[in-house]
Amino acid sequence: MNLALHILRQVANAVGLLIAVLVLNFCLIHAAPGDPALVIAGEMGGASADVIAALRVKYGLDKSLLEQLFTYLGSVATGDFGYSYYFNAPVTGLIAQRIPATLYLVLSALAISVVIGTLLGVVSARKPNGLFSQGVTIISLAGYAAPVFWTGLMLLLLFGSVWPILPVTGMTDVARPKVGFAHVVDILQHLVLPATTLALVFIAQYSRLARVNMIDALTADYVRTARAKGLPEFIVIGKHALRNTLIPIVTVAGLQFGHLFAGAVLVETVFSWPGMGRLVFESILRRDYPTLLAVLFFSAVLVMAANIITDLVYRLVDPRIRSGAR
Amino acid sequence: MPPVLSVKDLSVSMNGTKGMVPVLEHLSFDVAQGKTMALVGESGCGKSMTALAIMQLLPEDFRVTSGSILLDGVEVLSASPKELRSLRGDKMSMIFQEPMTALNPLYTVGDQIGEVLRQHRGLSRRDAHAQAIQFLKAVQIPAADKRVDAYPHQLSGGMRQRVMIAMALACKPKLLIADEPTTALDVTVQAQIFDLLSELQDDTDTAIVLITHDLGAVAELADDVAVLYAGRCIEQGTAHEVIARARHPYTRGLMACVPHLQLGRMSNHASAELDEIPGMVPPLGARGPDCAFLPRCAFAGAICRAQPQPPLDRIDAGAAVSCWRHQEITP
Amino acid sequence: MTTIESTAIKPDKTALPVSAAASPTMAALRQFARSPAGVVGAVVLLFLMLATLFGPSIYGVDPLDIAGAPFTPPDADTWLGTDYLGRDILAGLLQGGRATLTVGGVAAIITIVIGVTIGSLAGFFGGPIDTALTKITEFFQILPPLLFAMVLVTLFGQTLTTVTIAIGVVSWPSAARLTRAEFLRLRNLDFVKASRAAGAGNGHLILLVVLPNALPPIIVSATLAIGVAILFEGGLSFLGLGDPNTMSWGLMLGQNRNYVLNAWWTVAFPGAAIFIAVLAISLIGDGVNDAINPRLRKRG
Repeated sequence: MNLALHILRQVANAVGLLIAVLVLNFCLIHAAPGDPALVIAGEMGGASADVIAALRVKYGLDKSLLEQLFTYLGSVATGDFGYSYYFNAPVTGLIAQRIPATLYLVLSALAISVVIGTLLGVVSARKPNGLFSQGVTIISLAGYAAPVFWTGLMLLLLFGSVWPILPVTGMTDVARPKVGFAHVVDILQHLVLPATTLALVFIAQYSRLARVNMIDALTADYVRTARAKGLPEFIVIGKHALRNTLIPIVTVAGLQFGHLFAGAVLVETVFSWPGMGRLVFESILRRDYPTLLAVLFFSAVLVMAANIITDLVYRLVDPRIRSGAR
Repeated sequence: MPPVLSVKDLSVSMNGTKGMVPVLEHLSFDVAQGKTMALVGESGCGKSMTALAIMQLLPEDFRVTSGSILLDGVEVLSASPKELRSLRGDKMSMIFQEPMTALNPLYTVGDQIGEVLRQHRGLSRRDAHAQAIQFLKAVQIPAADKRVDAYPHQLSGGMRQRVMIAMALACKPKLLIADEPTTALDVTVQAQIFDLLSELQDDTDTAIVLITHDLGAVAELADDVAVLYAGRCIEQGTAHEVIARARHPYTRGLMACVPHLQLGRMSNHASAELDEIPGMVPPLGARGPDCAFLPRCAFAGAICRAQPQPPLDRIDAGAAVSCWRHQEITP
Repeated sequence: MTTIESTAIKPDKTALPVSAAASPTMAALRQFARSPAGVVGAVVLLFLMLATLFGPSIYGVDPLDIAGAPFTPPDADTWLGTDYLGRDILAGLLQGGRATLTVGGVAAIITIVIGVTIGSLAGFFGGPIDTALTKITEFFQILPPLLFAMVLVTLFGQTLTTVTIAIGVVSWPSAARLTRAEFLRLRNLDFVKASRAAGAGNGHLILLVVLPNALPPIIVSATLAIGVAILFEGGLSFLGLGDPNTMSWGLMLGQNRNYVLNAWWTVAFPGAAIFIAVLAISLIGDGVNDAINPRLRKRG
């Protein structure tokens, strides 16, 4: 299939699903107990009677539900996700401000977990019953079972009081603002703990996945062929077996982007990382529904984008998909 | 001239839950330059293990317990991993039964052929690619300059096996091991692959170890034959002699399964028709000192039950057999 | 036999199929008992359940009472210390485990019921029904589950029931995909065709013919769903979205998290409790998996 056409189709599908998310948001506002106008204003937003009246007019709350839906979709289409009375700012702007921090966190956690997880899995697959392999199995079980917010708190305890070598809160050193390269280093230092915490969960899963698939790949006929050709072990493993091992990891990593994002909400709360997750926590605390629902929508956008990218990477790695053979 | 491959007293065991279990016992054979040695027998008789032992690619639980394998005068069994790597793909190479799975699905066939040349001949990526096209032409793949960039799944089974052959012969090895190279292919394609192998052998003078249960192929291609049963060689000799005057009841049984052999036609599914020999190969670990074929043998007599399996008995220059009653049986 | 087949020797065509054990359930249980990880997990989980069931009355300290000064470190009186209000941590753990484990179990049941229903209908009927249900599943998959649960609980109120239902409602897509795949595989097999030819209705076919054969992977995923649900409950409570009137491990964590640097025990123990429970459940999951997928056992 033509690649451009394929991407186009994917994007169309994504747009459909995202409209469905908006409809869901609309339904949630109306299904929630209480006056929709109050829900939109946010219970603790301190909205005045005037504001409520203005909201009723803006969203046509006295008209039929269907009309209200189109009014809502119409305002969203212009980029208007409502107004946060708690933050006293349009929601869209709030989120746009927070997206970069979340992306730094999520993408670095993704990179760390895929690289380290694959590495651990591949090395442990060389001797599936060896000591190292058993160690990896234990780490992966533990990493999966440890609640990410707890791991975060324990690391915060370790590096906050026992062994204070890393910053444990925020994204930059507020007391001593830096510029240029020093600023980047500052952010990276602050990123280490949150990204590691978030990555641990996924390292656990990817190392397990990599191990199983690597063991499979090592018994595959094509690996035997590669050995029969006299290729050195690092090519047999690093080229022939590894690429086949990476395919399921790419797939799972893409599928789990939503989990990664949800994990970021918890990790950002633990480390006061100023991203969308922290915004979620604050809006939950203040019952700031417009912000909360908009975050849900934008996280769905990120997940969709991740799915499309995964699909493209998949095509890049596996020629069988490219020509539609499977 | 010394043989290209000389296997002496080779035994392989599997390290199972019940200790070491013999898989292959005391196999000896030589293959000279340009000649073909066929290893024949049902599944589970140790043919593939022999091949993998020569390549030193035995699965993890399998060990060579005795014997010697000389390739062009070099002892394979005591070679270091590095020496082995320089032998594999260069001096000796192997083609496998399943061309579907033996090629890596994620790389082009050109890359996989070129890899051998880059490894052993130090060719650049570009030269290796150009050479790969030449080899694809040599194995009679049409439109080779396009197919070189194809992925395995885009080729038919027969084509893939041709690619495997091209890959195996890329460095002009002294020895080629072909492990049931046609079993997974259509009947018409089987004949083409065998023809190709014998043509290429005429060109390159490669010694071939052909593993097969297709006696038709043996009659056509092989110079010598060793018939294996339950890990033991029970009959060995020149292909002509063994086909014409099979002495062991098992070999005779195999022959009976190929009704049109004398007419030179090939059986399509020799394995399916092998059911005509009642029973099955005894499983690993259930093989005692007495003749392994005894429970299935129509000619078994008192002496067979009283004595352990006899060693291969050389009858004349062209034949040896391991059977107490071969003189009575052979017409 | 199996060890040999997996290597280069081809399985003998004439070999008889391995005869099935008398009772698959018993055979699976026996297999499970042979998996050390599974047994350890089962023992630990049983211990936790008994502790939360009988622990509060044996220990005899009310988890909501002030048992000492705030932030008393672990000592002879308060074994695991006290929290920011001076409440006994151990008493909280024993009491709170009930809510956490119950939410985990019930939410997992909801997850599996929704997932299996949607997955089996999609896989069994195929066609437009499959397309529609798959679209719905896909829709739920693009919403980050924990975030979606947060929105639901925020909107519909912080009660244990809402939390449980919210977790169930957001977690079912993977169970649905799994069930659908199993049904797609099974529905065209001969024994299903035979039942259909014998006049069995769709309901009979789905529930009594196909579903029992699809159960093994579903059971494994149900086990793991309990662990995920416990983690979700913890996450929600941690963000202050749990039921404030019901003691749970997540609630303890959430309420004390700001004091982690001053009083590590207020946070370390509740988190460790969640960790141990989820670990035990995933060990059980592994054991169950080994028991019903003997083929994979050797690979580990």
